[in-house]
Amino acid sequence: MLTFLRRRTLTSLPPLLAVVLGVFVLARLTGDPAALYLPENATAQAREQFSAAHGFDQPIWSQLIDYLAQVTRLDFGTSLRTGEPAAVMALRAFPATLQLAVVTMLLACAVATAVGCWAALRPNGLGDRISSLMSMTAASVPDFWLAILGIWVFSIMLGVLPTSGVDAGGLSWVLPIAVLMLRPAGVLTQVVRGAMIAALGSPYVKVARSKGAGERRVVVRHALKNAAPPALTVAGDLAVGLINGAVVVESIFGWPGIGKLMIDSILQRDFAVLQAAVAITAISIFVLNIGIDLGYALLDSRVRQKVGAAA
Amino acid sequence: MTHTPHGLRARNSRAAALLAAATVSLAATGCSVANTTSGDSAGAGNTLRVVLPQEPPTLEPCEASLTATGVVVRSNITEPLLERNPTSGALEPKLATEWTQTQPTLWTFKLRPGVKFSDGSDFTSEDAVAAIERSANNTALACNVQGYVFGDSGKLTLAAPDAATVTVQTEQPDPLLPLRVSFVEMTKSDISTTEKVREPVGTGPYKIESWAAGQKLTLTSWDGYWGSKPRYAKAEYQWREEGTVRAAMVVNGEADLATNLGADDGAGDTGVQYPNNETTALRFSTDQAPLDDIRVRQAIDMSVDRQGIITSLFGGIGQPASQLIGPGVVGYNESLTPTPYDLTAAKALVDQARADGVKVDTPFRIIGRTAQFPKIAESIELIQSALTQIGLTAKIEMLDTSAQIKYQLRPFPEGAGPVALMIMHGNQAGDAAFTVGQYFATDGAQSSSGSPQLDQQIKAAGALTGDARQQAFADVFASENQDIRGFTFLANMGAVLGLAKNVSYTPDAATGDELRLADVKPKS
Repeated sequence: MLTFLRRRTLTSLPPLLAVVLGVFVLARLTGDPAALYLPENATAQAREQFSAAHGFDQPIWSQLIDYLAQVTRLDFGTSLRTGEPAAVMALRAFPATLQLAVVTMLLACAVATAVGCWAALRPNGLGDRISSLMSMTAASVPDFWLAILGIWVFSIMLGVLPTSGVDAGGLSWVLPIAVLMLRPAGVLTQVVRGAMIAALGSPYVKVARSKGAGERRVVVRHALKNAAPPALTVAGDLAVGLINGAVVVESIFGWPGIGKLMIDSILQRDFAVLQAAVAITAISIFVLNIGIDLGYALLDSRVRQKVGAAA
Repeated sequence: MTHTPHGLRARNSRAAALLAAATVSLAATGCSVANTTSGDSAGAGNTLRVVLPQEPPTLEPCEASLTATGVVVRSNITEPLLERNPTSGALEPKLATEWTQTQPTLWTFKLRPGVKFSDGSDFTSEDAVAAIERSANNTALACNVQGYVFGDSGKLTLAAPDAATVTVQTEQPDPLLPLRVSFVEMTKSDISTTEKVREPVGTGPYKIESWAAGQKLTLTSWDGYWGSKPRYAKAEYQWREEGTVRAAMVVNGEADLATNLGADDGAGDTGVQYPNNETTALRFSTDQAPLDDIRVRQAIDMSVDRQGIITSLFGGIGQPASQLIGPGVVGYNESLTPTPYDLTAAKALVDQARADGVKVDTPFRIIGRTAQFPKIAESIELIQSALTQIGLTAKIEMLDTSAQIKYQLRPFPEGAGPVALMIMHGNQAGDAAFTVGQYFATDGAQSSSGSPQLDQQIKAAGALTGDARQQAFADVFASENQDIRGFTFLANMGAVLGLAKNVSYTPDAATGDELRLADVKPKS
């Protein structure tokens, strides 16, 4: 297992480095941020001083070498906008996004598993059609519209939830998570339903039933376990999207997450913060992908054997 | 390997318990995000809850001319020597009680006695000298206020003859010096001169209690303040990007005051309309066809249905504009009126230019900054539609701030082609000199038109004072409209403030830039 992890880590390093380098280069291609940070009538000399002070006057390869040298010392630079260390800003924002993403995905998986299994047990029945309609709708509704609607109904009309912010403890989580989980839950429900229909029609389920296994055991132990890998793959992709930052939800609900931080950094050409935020999310996605691989191994003995052989 | 039903149930129960525990534990760790208790409700009367469009990037006092910073720091945490009354335009005493022009190039300020910083130290003339030096002369620090108000004032020579007196020597006679100084927030003499300071100590009625970055900023009043104690002991700032959410927070009782709302953000009965300092306009590059012909520019001016845009897109908030400043600013020309909407006359002008060989069919770009003001994209689309009707070809390009600013500030991008740039200008200073020097002078940082004659007119107006100054700048606006027409003015903008029922506050033209908490009071 350790060998597997080591190999996985090594194979993940090149794409991680490519992401960091790509963001570094692309960010600088958008231009010198001096115009955004200096007074409107700053002289050409002042602009040159600003560029020199922040190293923007150097060739891009030289800037990159300096940056990589800094990063090896865990120094991601300083925010042009706030004057704070970029890593501090990114690390402050990331847990908020991570917490939101994990709780959202756990709930979405639970809902999708329950509804998807229920729908698959009676394909094309009334319940299946209703669940399909609802899950397709959930997967299609824009976050922005849903968030505003949620605020209007539950905060303004009913007065049972806060409009936004993080002040109201547990209640602060309800609307952001409800809005955020609807799409993954809708997509996952369809995946679970399809995989379960295929699994329930497979020979090993028929064998299990012919041996007298109860329906619950057939569904949970045989069908669901075999239907889980495709759902896990899709759940992983959806989780990556959430970890990258639920920008719309974070913006509307005032959630101090990394998605909003990244967008603000792009708009303000705050390169150091953008690079720190991307590095942290890229590392977390890399860890998530290893987790998904390990999940495959737990769910599928063929994969487990391969992992074992690799070790 | 077999499982008994009991074993299966037990395993399922464990799995369910594990899932529940994971969810609960994550929610619990989430308390690091969502755990703070809400502040006092407005009904309790101790805490004023303000919701802004964005978090201040910094509270550095020398960046107070940036709206996001100034709206929090100005006159709340720090204070200037004197301040401009946004309604009357008059300068009023603050930390200085009097100021006189003792020589043509020398101004003397007498400081208010008994003023302390919120850390308990005395405010002295040394502090005032250091603060002005840092904001006006320190080019390395590149304070925004330095560029905004001191860019054309030359180097200042400062002195503190005694603990209560400050003198400011200018290179040339400068009648605007007190107005410029009103933009400098007073800080302690030991403040860094090489780094900007994120959390300053000031003499204002409030000091910073805590700043949970990304979430909330709390100010608290302090006992040693020289003026009247503010009615709210604390002020909590939060920020929400969406106007609808800011409005909903006031409607729902989660905030007492919300700034920068739009007409259709849903503030309802809590919404209070007020005119702000901003004026919107199209600024033309006048060196390339078809915009190099004044008839084409005049035609564009005639084709803009200002009242229609204000009524249909701005919800009736704002007034059609005839010049780049609004009423109340020194130099505002009362006799100028917005150009009447007349597509027939506009088309005739375009046809006339075409007949004279002007390349009116050459496409040009209308460039706008995304979200610069509500309904900017729709406003530009309406204008583009009208231009098509009069025989011009305009393409719309919406850019983010960083990309748009390249077209706003000199030097403009090479090979940009003819451009009509949507701009929004706010004259916080209250004097036309801060507008025309930037936008009308041929070498202005944001100018893409002008003429030597207008340059002379601007220079002459800047040296005048009183009524002569007012008239001279009014003439500058008239001349620009008549002889150059480098702009199509759209609207003197307005805004909506969300105000809870139990809070009393009267917004003015400066509210968007400077929200004085001491002026906000609970309704009795």
